[in-house]
Amino acid sequence: MELAKIESLLDAYFEGETSLDQEKILRDYFSSATIAPHLMAYQGLFVGLKNAQQEVSEREISLPQASSNSRRWWLSIAASAIILLGVVGLQFSGNQMTSEEQQALAAFNKTRETLLLMSNSFNKGTQELAVIGQFTETKNRILK
Amino acid sequence: MEQKEFLDTILPCKDTLYRLAKRLLVSSDEAEDAVQEVFLKLWKGRDKIDNYRSPEAFAVTMTKNYCLDRLKSRQASNLKIVHSNYKNSDNIERTIEGNEGVELVTKIMQTLPEKQKMIMQLRDIEQFEFAEISQMLEINETAIRVALSRARKVVREQLIKQYNYGIS
Repeated sequence: MELAKIESLLDAYFEGETSLDQEKILRDYFSSATIAPHLMAYQGLFVGLKNAQQEVSEREISLPQASSNSRRWWLSIAASAIILLGVVGLQFSGNQMTSEEQQALAAFNKTRETLLLMSNSFNKGTQELAVIGQFTETKNRILK
Repeated sequence: MEQKEFLDTILPCKDTLYRLAKRLLVSSDEAEDAVQEVFLKLWKGRDKIDNYRSPEAFAVTMTKNYCLDRLKSRQASNLKIVHSNYKNSDNIERTIEGNEGVELVTKIMQTLPEKQKMIMQLRDIEQFEFAEISQMLEINETAIRVALSRARKVVREQLIKQYNYGIS
């Protein structure tokens, strides 16, 4: 590569007027072993830029699994099933009373029966008392 | 779009996105975070990717926006820029060879304004055409050439200063 061409490319480079191909020529020239002494200062520039492209990212990219949507859908189904089971279970267990509760219920029924019997007897008593009412009426008629 | 198809489209430009993010955010950790974040966003909007002429250009634009946002919020919270995790292990050898300009270029680039930094990154390191850079950065081509020329001249000036200091 003739020196004059490199020099004019360099000038164009610093004016922002070189094409990618011309910039490649410059990079190649400054990576070679035969750099004109007065251009040595530019070596670091072009080799440095070339080296800077070697740097790579070292961390893996992690994306959310594509199945995440269907998994979430599954989760909501499972959650509602558990709630449903809970509610149904609660109602079932409500029907099944403990023995203590059953005893209490039996006692309650017996008491109710007894009270009913008592109230019947009372009612019978009041019917018979009605006769006394008649008696008072008659007495009032006579003693007017 | 299936995950495999998505990755086939986007994964080839992962390193380009990473290098751009690192140029802007400096820390390689934050740059990796940025790339992950941009990939997630692209994945969520994968149905729209086909609407863009170039998925790569779209990904670069997203990375640029994400990084500039990060820089803005960093500035707002007055966080200091953690300076950087360059791999310095082979520096000594290079210094002996008188070739320290190689590392120097990227260090000088750090001092450029964001716009010039991005343009020089996309042109001189990633070697995109001006038309592509114009699409990625939403800046017209003339303005890109002007900014690029300015950036290259600053880098040249600094390099030559360092070079002369090195040999004298």
